[in-house]
Amino acid sequence: MSTFTPAPMPSALTFELDARCSTTKARAATLTLPHGPVQLPLFMPVATQASLKGLTPEQLEATGCRLCLNNTYHLGLKPGQEVLEKVGGAHKLQGWKHNLLTDSGGFQMVSLLKLANITEDGVRFLSPHDGSPMLLTPEHSISLQNTIGSDIIMQLDDVLVTTSPDAARMREAMLRSVRWLDRCIAAHANPTTQNLFCIIQGGLDLEMRKECCEEMVARNTPGIAIGGLSGGEAKADYCKVVNTCTGLLPELKPRYVMGIGYPEDLVVSVALGADMFDCVWPTRTARFGNAITKHGVLNLRNAKYASDFGPLEDGCDCLCCRRGDGGLNVTRAFINHIAGKETVGAHLLTMHNVWYQLELMRNVRKAIIEDRYPEFLKQFFKDLHTDKAKYPVWTVDALRMVGVDLME
Amino acid sequence: MTISEDIEGSSRASSLSFEISGAIEYSTPDARLGRLSIAGRNDIDTPNFFSISSRGVVPHLTPDVIGEHTQPGGVHVALEDFIERATIGTPPIMNVPGNAPLHTFTCLPTSFITLLAPRRTPAVIAPIGNTNTAISIFTSTGFQSLSNKAYVNYAEKLHPDIIIGLADVPHGTVPGVKRIDKMGDRTEGWLTELLASEHTKSAVFAPILPIEYHSQFEYLNNLDEFADKIRGLAFYDSNLLPDIPATTAVAQLPRLSLDEPSSPHEILRQISLGMDIFTIPFIGFATDAGIALDFQFPSPSTSSEVVSTGNGSTTKSLGVDMWSTEHSTSLDPLSVSCECYACTIHHRSFIQHLLSAKEMLGWALLQIHNHYVLSKFFSFIRESIGQGTFEADCETFARYYETELPEKSGQGPRVRGYQFKTEGPGERKKNQPGWRGDLEVA
Repeated sequence: MSTFTPAPMPSALTFELDARCSTTKARAATLTLPHGPVQLPLFMPVATQASLKGLTPEQLEATGCRLCLNNTYHLGLKPGQEVLEKVGGAHKLQGWKHNLLTDSGGFQMVSLLKLANITEDGVRFLSPHDGSPMLLTPEHSISLQNTIGSDIIMQLDDVLVTTSPDAARMREAMLRSVRWLDRCIAAHANPTTQNLFCIIQGGLDLEMRKECCEEMVARNTPGIAIGGLSGGEAKADYCKVVNTCTGLLPELKPRYVMGIGYPEDLVVSVALGADMFDCVWPTRTARFGNAITKHGVLNLRNAKYASDFGPLEDGCDCLCCRRGDGGLNVTRAFINHIAGKETVGAHLLTMHNVWYQLELMRNVRKAIIEDRYPEFLKQFFKDLHTDKAKYPVWTVDALRMVGVDLME
Repeated sequence: MTISEDIEGSSRASSLSFEISGAIEYSTPDARLGRLSIAGRNDIDTPNFFSISSRGVVPHLTPDVIGEHTQPGGVHVALEDFIERATIGTPPIMNVPGNAPLHTFTCLPTSFITLLAPRRTPAVIAPIGNTNTAISIFTSTGFQSLSNKAYVNYAEKLHPDIIIGLADVPHGTVPGVKRIDKMGDRTEGWLTELLASEHTKSAVFAPILPIEYHSQFEYLNNLDEFADKIRGLAFYDSNLLPDIPATTAVAQLPRLSLDEPSSPHEILRQISLGMDIFTIPFIGFATDAGIALDFQFPSPSTSSEVVSTGNGSTTKSLGVDMWSTEHSTSLDPLSVSCECYACTIHHRSFIQHLLSAKEMLGWALLQIHNHYVLSKFFSFIRESIGQGTFEADCETFARYYETELPEKSGQGPRVRGYQFKTEGPGERKKNQPGWRGDLEVA
């Protein structure tokens, strides 16, 4: 496979590198997509079924979000390709003026369908709605994403849990993902309006990841994703994979690490040279009554918040916490009062948590541009853990790889 | 939009005023126009409606959405939604700082009027009756009793704009002769205590009981004595309205309906009896059922959507069932020419998808739309009364629309325990489970 020569591939994005951290591998960039520019590094909230968990598109826009996810797998089942075709795509379906990214449906094979059967053809599975057999091929995935009309589309990949001990199967999955990328590129009908990203596979085996990077980079897609992670592997292993891959990827393309969303993971991954992230955790945990703050996650269903009339987070500028300027003055006590009982509690926490994630990345970007990202990292971990003894070992080790010593 | 900050509350509540304006002499003698004003809040032209809240929120709608996309005059808040901790200590809402704890706690826009009632509407039937000093209420942790003394205490601290006096209402059961005798006496006693409170800044609405006029004759007669202290009447049964003597001071008070109208026709009937302000449970029922309300008063300006029933007469449905897959590719708004947020930004296809995918936004958009439809409905009613055409317009409406809302065909949002009482063991689930096939046959 190493003699592959890529066909020239059109791209529907521009990538401008705005700044580079002088210590770590962190970068700030501007990515201009068909529905407008976004600033990297970036967190993308997940609107699985064309809706961000109860928020109106207007409310999502107010958090500053300009690029969110939809899931191809879910939209393919509901409302289905035919409806999407007739309506005119997912932007139009959900009234979203900004950018969309869709995954390929490959990850849901691992996360939702334990007994999916993967062959060279594609993924064979049973519809979760009625049990009828279905086949998802690279061509079908791309066709669906073409109909959805998302600004960034992902290749179908053969996803295996990273912790799988079967090295032969892992290698097979990696090589198959490369072959499927070629099929995706060939099937892609709108390369001038939708950007196809490849997905680096290879589990936790760094040699396999290197091999995959070479093959994928040679295909010259507009952007590159690192996939197969956040599946329960040790954080130290995760960091080694990201660090290895970013070292091999071209400087002037966006790098998207799939499925990452804990604040610690985000700031470390940025230091390791990644640009884009997505995760359902902030919105899911909101529905469990949890508010993300810089001092950690608060479970507001706990009785100790019943009479706590403070904001969700002191100094937070989200619509819920903001004082004045149209802010809602939502208190912890009010969320405690409605969490798990009225969906409005989940909506309010979803707004706060999405804002927290986006604001974190805005501050990360600012720190990179002002070339004080190492200081930012130190303050971030100080706020989160107070005591250095409580810093997770993996964060300390990972940041040492890129020249930052949190213990200093 | 302004959101509740601590506001100067000292002169606010007692500032409620209600002016009945002209048009009484026209058409239906009792339908009337009015304006309810409370300092610091938006004036409300009546007839109009208050949104019904659950635990202090209008279901599905965050406070910013209520402020930006809905126009109800106020919000009905049930005390029983806030005091589940009363059995083990002080309910948190009693510790909210500031002059308007109810507004502050619930993050309601300051322009909205808060109306505090002891119980939700509709209320869950309590297994134990009321006593001479207390009523049974249903909190999120179970049944409790709420004494009038405690109720007055809550009122003094929470400062709702309007408070309905505690009433001995036997929700869901038919009271016997002996009970009926007590109802008026108890309610009058409780009202007297509430009015005697020097710390209550709220405007007190006297409850009118859902029993025959002659059974509460004494109580109603005595209301005249309080007429300078009470600021409104709250009717548990709108049929008592014609019995309120038109000549007394009590007749000049604003009238609130807790009579749970089941359809717009019922609202019109109550307006023709002289009702001013409504609480309308069917808005929420329609939203949860996935029904987009679709009616105008007296009828749409364009009559293109009339459905022929086949026998020459035509009646139009009062709502559109959005679960129906016939909407799955429709880019039409929920109602033709509706200007609500849901209809101007979104379309039927999206809302059908959201319901089918059980995404919460579906119900939020329907709730916005359904509130908007009612706001428009009332605004056209006021216009009609002002023009003296109300009676004729009601007839047009009755001819044009079906009598009841469409049946629910799909599923509602997940039902939470606190607003429903189980009917005992073996009760069927409200929603169907998802498909649970055996994946092993793959």
